[in-house]
Amino acid sequence: MLRSVTLLFRRVWAFVVRDFQLLLSYRLQFFLRVLSILLMVTALFFVAKTFTGRADCPCAESPFTQWRDPLAAWITGLAVLNYFMTGFSSLANAIRAEQTQGTLESVLLTPISVPVVVVASSAWEFVQATLFSFLYLFFGWLFFGVHFRGSYLLALLFLILTTLVLACLGILSASFAMVFKRGDPFAVLLGTGSALFSGVFFPTQLLGAGFGTVSRILPPTYGLDGIRRVLIEGQGLSEVSDPLLTLLLFLVALLPFSLWVFSRAIRRAKREGSLIQY
Amino acid sequence: MSTMGATSKDSSAVSMKHLSKTYPVPLARLKSFFRRPTKPPVEALRDVSLKVREGEIFGLIGPNGAGKTTLTKIIATLVQPTEGSVTVRGFDSVRHAERVRAQVGLATAEERSFYWRLTPVQNLIFFARLYGMEERAARRRIKELLALFEFEGASVQRRFGELSTGNKQRLAVARALLPNPPVLLLDEPTRSLDPLAAARLRTTISQLVRVQPPVSILLTSHNLSEVEELCDRVAIISRGVIRAVDTPKNLRALHQQTERVTITVRGIERRAIEEALASSLGELEIAEQSNALSLSFRRETNDETLDKALTGLMERGAHVLSVDSEQATLLDVLTALHEEELKK
Repeated sequence: MLRSVTLLFRRVWAFVVRDFQLLLSYRLQFFLRVLSILLMVTALFFVAKTFTGRADCPCAESPFTQWRDPLAAWITGLAVLNYFMTGFSSLANAIRAEQTQGTLESVLLTPISVPVVVVASSAWEFVQATLFSFLYLFFGWLFFGVHFRGSYLLALLFLILTTLVLACLGILSASFAMVFKRGDPFAVLLGTGSALFSGVFFPTQLLGAGFGTVSRILPPTYGLDGIRRVLIEGQGLSEVSDPLLTLLLFLVALLPFSLWVFSRAIRRAKREGSLIQY
Repeated sequence: MSTMGATSKDSSAVSMKHLSKTYPVPLARLKSFFRRPTKPPVEALRDVSLKVREGEIFGLIGPNGAGKTTLTKIIATLVQPTEGSVTVRGFDSVRHAERVRAQVGLATAEERSFYWRLTPVQNLIFFARLYGMEERAARRRIKELLALFEFEGASVQRRFGELSTGNKQRLAVARALLPNPPVLLLDEPTRSLDPLAAARLRTTISQLVRVQPPVSILLTSHNLSEVEELCDRVAIISRGVIRAVDTPKNLRALHQQTERVTITVRGIERRAIEEALASSLGELEIAEQSNALSLSFRRETNDETLDKALTGLMERGAHVLSVDSEQATLLDVLTALHEEELKK
């Protein structure tokens, strides 16, 4: 047991080090990404200021309590969305990237299972996403005076739970990529859908009845709502139990289903010999 | 790494029993539902039964599309067979895929199997970690392999993408040897190497089966002289079926019972040679060389034609400078089998 865990960590470490080394060979790309986050936060600061700077600004009395400081709401939304999308897309991207590079075959020749390859090769994406998400919040705090309150631990719980739910969808997405060798519809629907309907840029209450239903079936809506309630409104565990339970239900339903689909996809790809094709 | 097989008492390193592989049409039902035209399934292997013995270099030759790569990939657990089974040192390639992979190293001529922006050492360390090797042991092994394959200072520092084709190829073999696998699958290992580098690699390969414990090697190659030089036994595969398995010598003898003989002589004229030999030799070709004549003809192996030709020439005062016989090669055997196949 201990040996298996050690081996797993050694393999995850192998992928993290490899991806870090690859990142070092593309330094400029990394710094451009950091710069783009800073520019985005700065732009949002000025957009927020066009409203909050006005004498008749309704923000302070807004019924949408999370949006009274729009900059805090936006950067929280973007930071969390960035993390959620990593949870969702990195698993499928991991397989697809290895396939298109032509390295999947040599990786699968080692005594490592496909699920371990998928999880380990997306580990660096999480490390990177953690850094970039942190930068959204850090730049907001450092340059534009955004302050967060509430329990960071509870916010972290929401973050992990929502990421796990999205990872289940990511596993479905990876299964699709393995069989069809193409970007899948989950990515498009969830990526654009979450940005539009999960309350990243505006309160979901504004969507009305029709689009509000779409918002309610997207897990990021609950994750983002929970995190904002904790960090911006300072709510405690008892006040955020609703979105927390909803996320748990998503997880219980999606985890076994996605693992079942994934095992079927692996079996099919091995039978067709398509796992190592690109 | 385990050195004992799992269940089988069989001493062979790799054993294939009634192995068949048909690649199904991807999403056939979906395509037929939408009435999209579909290609028929591809039968890559049919009822293949083979054994690679411990410490043996086993060659697999055949034309393109014969099924060599599919066979190699099934052994390496990358593709699942449709029927039959493969065991590697007793471990079943489907049921114990991870344990089989721990026993097998595969080197292909595919350059894209490495990370081009990483150095050779960074690449090898990555794969060593995936094999579960301890950090210190991995670095020691990599140093050994880089020395074995003569990687010098500058090429070790370069990114993989900047290496010469030959170095990329050698690194692929080095990676296959990384965990000291008891079974090595080599898919055209010398394809991109210059003649000297190819000869050095062949020497290294032949040494691997002499170490203790010996490495068992399955070698696929289009370089038939390389197969003849290295392999203890050879299988000829065509259209997914094994046509023959034997030592290179027996294969040649079995399928090609004639040889071409060339005699170089001096002190005799062309007409005298024709008079002496034309009646006893069917096809006689005579060519002029500087101060000599060379005559060549085909004969049944071990018949009396050569004796008669030499006697006839010497009776007419010819001075025999050399006698060469060009025996059948594996290429001849492969060609003969392929022609038989086409006639069917």
